[in-house]
Amino acid sequence: MTMTAATTSDAPSETTAKKVSDKSLWLLAPGILWMLLFLVVPMLMMVYVSFWTQTTFKISPILTVQSWVTFFTSDTYLSALWTTVRIWLIVLVATLVVGYPAALYVGLFVRNKTTQTVLLVFCVIPFWTSFLIRVLAWRPMLGKEGAINLILQALGIINTPIEVLLFSELSVVIGMTQIYCVFMVGPIAFMMGRIDPSVIEAAQDLGAGFWRIFRTIILPLTMPGVVVGAIFVSVMVLGEFATAAALSGRKVNLLGNIIVTQVGSLKWAFAAVVGVVLTILMGIVVAALLRVVDLRKAL
Amino acid sequence: MSAVLKLSNVRKSYGDLHALNGLDLALPEDAYVALLGPSGSGKTTLLRVIAGFETPDAGSLTFKGKRIEGIAPHRRDIGFVFQNFALFPHLSVAKNIAFGLENRDIDPVADPKVLAARVKDMVALVGLGGLEERAVTQISGGQRQRVALARTLITEPSLVLLDEPLGALDANLRARMRSELRAIRERCGVTFLHVTGSESEALAMGDLVLVLDQGRIAQSADADTIYNQPQSPSVARFLNCYNLFEGTLSSDAFIAPLGTFPLGGTSPRQSGKPGYAIRYDRIAVRPLTDTVANDEVRLEATFVADEYSGAAINSFFALDDGRVFEVESHLSQTTPNALTPQTRYALVWKRNDALVYA
Repeated sequence: MTMTAATTSDAPSETTAKKVSDKSLWLLAPGILWMLLFLVVPMLMMVYVSFWTQTTFKISPILTVQSWVTFFTSDTYLSALWTTVRIWLIVLVATLVVGYPAALYVGLFVRNKTTQTVLLVFCVIPFWTSFLIRVLAWRPMLGKEGAINLILQALGIINTPIEVLLFSELSVVIGMTQIYCVFMVGPIAFMMGRIDPSVIEAAQDLGAGFWRIFRTIILPLTMPGVVVGAIFVSVMVLGEFATAAALSGRKVNLLGNIIVTQVGSLKWAFAAVVGVVLTILMGIVVAALLRVVDLRKAL
Repeated sequence: MSAVLKLSNVRKSYGDLHALNGLDLALPEDAYVALLGPSGSGKTTLLRVIAGFETPDAGSLTFKGKRIEGIAPHRRDIGFVFQNFALFPHLSVAKNIAFGLENRDIDPVADPKVLAARVKDMVALVGLGGLEERAVTQISGGQRQRVALARTLITEPSLVLLDEPLGALDANLRARMRSELRAIRERCGVTFLHVTGSESEALAMGDLVLVLDQGRIAQSADADTIYNQPQSPSVARFLNCYNLFEGTLSSDAFIAPLGTFPLGGTSPRQSGKPGYAIRYDRIAVRPLTDTVANDEVRLEATFVADEYSGAAINSFFALDDGRVFEVESHLSQTTPNALTPQTRYALVWKRNDALVYA
């Protein structure tokens, strides 16, 4: 009797749970719709358009690989691809070199949560101004008559201004490192904060010195933060065009700059080719970074 | 027995809070020492000072005949087992155990064969066979506790500090690990200093039991002495088995606000603060009409409720000043009469069973 009652009473609750679960799926609808309309469809269109026939003033939906052939046989475009990869690697390393010690300090050595928050807020203060202002603000810093040259000259360290500071690849790297460093610091500091202080003390108590502890405990435990930070920085740097345009004096051409130029000249098919190449490059980079750490396990 | 560790007049304060207040301590070699203290008594601070994670404000620490203040934790030859185990979450059981040998600054073991053999021995010692390659997140609480212990013992420290090592385990496992910890220590032949807030754990495990009160060692003795002859009312309070009264002492009685308790033949213990303590299991509950013998003390109270714990029943009475008075009746010795709630009873004990402090 009891069994029957239990079975009968269980059945409606299962149905209710299923209904609730079905209904909850609707919560995903706006997101899925948005992603379909503004990510999946445009990406498919981009791939499709990259095979259209492009003439000087006209584009027609006649399929051809001409734009692809042009991209892979032109020194200019291949050089832009290489420059993009090179700048991405340099900026990635630079943000890591600048960001990791900062995150180590904030996440591990500052145990007061308020101080930690204040220091992290300092990191994002530059974001209170617009992106373009942040980029352009480097010009009065790095120029021949800029603050850095003036200070170095006043201190007697140099006699003539260092010209390579602005309108060069170096200025692009400096600008990008400053702009994107916070995206590296944040995830690493988060992972640092998750390390139980007693784990470090245990390693100390077992006889390990600081560098051993860093190599065997801190670094492995913060690798998920490094990978997440690297993904953030990579995706943003690979798609960059504004910093290069503003700080390199058009000497540095990234794939992003090529897209801007081609879209400006209404060469949609060729812009689409560069877009597809850039998307594939980002996909490879993100996939490679995700292989470094199993984020599902680590987080 | 010579002392492996001596602390003399050690002080450590955090602002106005004196965690260690002129503490003196001597730990014998090859012994299991239990340190009992209530929450906030300075237990963890004491361990952290000994381990080197905290620097004392004053006093001296002598370990194996050498002063160790100012020596880094990893150079003290003192092992620390953390309350939360503090295992390295990204390493396997074997790698956790091998960590100290492999990564210590002084004389690390680089030969993989030697390392594997030492880990194998330690795994056998703590009973973790077959779990070597498991992640530490995939083993039970008791197994994690053993990993933490093995990881410390493999470095062969001369002293092992255990910060409430059984606190994170469930009751069954805690009881089993008590005897296992003692057995492991005997096999290793080093001193264990086991910090706990549980009086039963301290009494069951310690060859020597230290009671910490307000940053000082209030009593240091074997478990039997601590239990039967607590040196002060505060030590008696930590044991959680004495009803305590404050009051004044006359030549033949202890005068408490609730009544006068005639004294037995034993002389009062000097503790600096007068007090009267009677153990829960030394008290009989009788009807109000019963007479009292010449060697007995009587106190009236209202029965509130009782609690059955298998081997005993604990009865709770409300005294006239509102305080709770507890009586423990062991079921193996007697079957207590059923008591009626909100009814007054006479609580009676032998004069000589009470501990009187002057």
